[in-house]
Amino acid sequence: MNFLIKKGIVSCCFILIVASLMAQDKFFTKSGNIQFSSKGAIETIEATHRSVTCVLDSKTGDIQFAVLMKGFEFRKALMQEHFNENYVESDKYPKSEFRGQITNNSEVNYAKDGVYTVHIKGKLTLHGQTKDVEADGKITVKDGKLLAASKFKIQMSAYNIDIPGSVADNMSDTINITVSCTLEPLK
Amino acid sequence: MNKKKTIIGGIVIIIALAGGYGWYQFNRTVQGLANVPADFSVNATDLIKEFVGSENTANKKYLNKILSVKGMVKNVESAQSTIVLGDTSDMSGVRCVIDSTANSTIGSLQKGAVITIKGAITGFNKDETGLLGSDVQLNRCVIAN
Repeated sequence: MNFLIKKGIVSCCFILIVASLMAQDKFFTKSGNIQFSSKGAIETIEATHRSVTCVLDSKTGDIQFAVLMKGFEFRKALMQEHFNENYVESDKYPKSEFRGQITNNSEVNYAKDGVYTVHIKGKLTLHGQTKDVEADGKITVKDGKLLAASKFKIQMSAYNIDIPGSVADNMSDTINITVSCTLEPLK
Repeated sequence: MNKKKTIIGGIVIIIALAGGYGWYQFNRTVQGLANVPADFSVNATDLIKEFVGSENTANKKYLNKILSVKGMVKNVESAQSTIVLGDTSDMSGVRCVIDSTANSTIGSLQKGAVITIKGAITGFNKDETGLLGSDVQLNRCVIAN
């Protein structure tokens, strides 16, 4: 009898430990930040998104982002309209996604506060095109939360985004992307 | 001679007007929504149901429109100036990013209060992980009451 109770307690503890470990595997946010900018001859085009979804699996290093293209906010209305209607065609391609992996995930200790440099490799889907993307980033572990930050560049032409000839001279094909997300443990 | 002058004058005025219009368009900032009437007035939970039911149909109906959404405050994320409306029993919600130029009363909002938010719908972020819940997103939001 005593043995059975002991066994029960032990297995209960085991389940609890496993459950708590599993719960801390994944981190997420629904209000991440992505900014992009493109320096042109006449003006700089920039926009911010404040509702980026990101999920990171600390065990495998898998990381995913999802962005609704219409959610990019520009200061100038005309830029926002051109961006949605002519460039990314957000009616046709409403969502952009990144699925990738932290290639040096074992170097990040998610349980210990600190700043870790990471390398990320994955596939970015934008404007209906999926391309390989590699980027360096930083993960800051603090008080059980993660701050994930990265800067990388993409070429618009790689995603079949056409720049009309009339403005081609004033616009750069290179887009600088800045990602900044505070991830919380997924319970 | 006089006729020629009138024609030249007319052309100059047209060029000036076109230039002025171009300059206005070039500098036009994104409009605040406080005084823009909503195209649709909906309930937060009904809106989510519509998108879960058929994302395509709901996209066709709502995208590029201004929505007035009534619902219960599920969460307030002040740091991101985001208010989440919806049912606490459901992981899905309507995520409203408040217009930074109208960001005044967000801090005083209480969870559980029923409010109406007007905003520009940016789409439906369907959750493919099964962990987070799918969300309807709005930006440039103003609290309507």
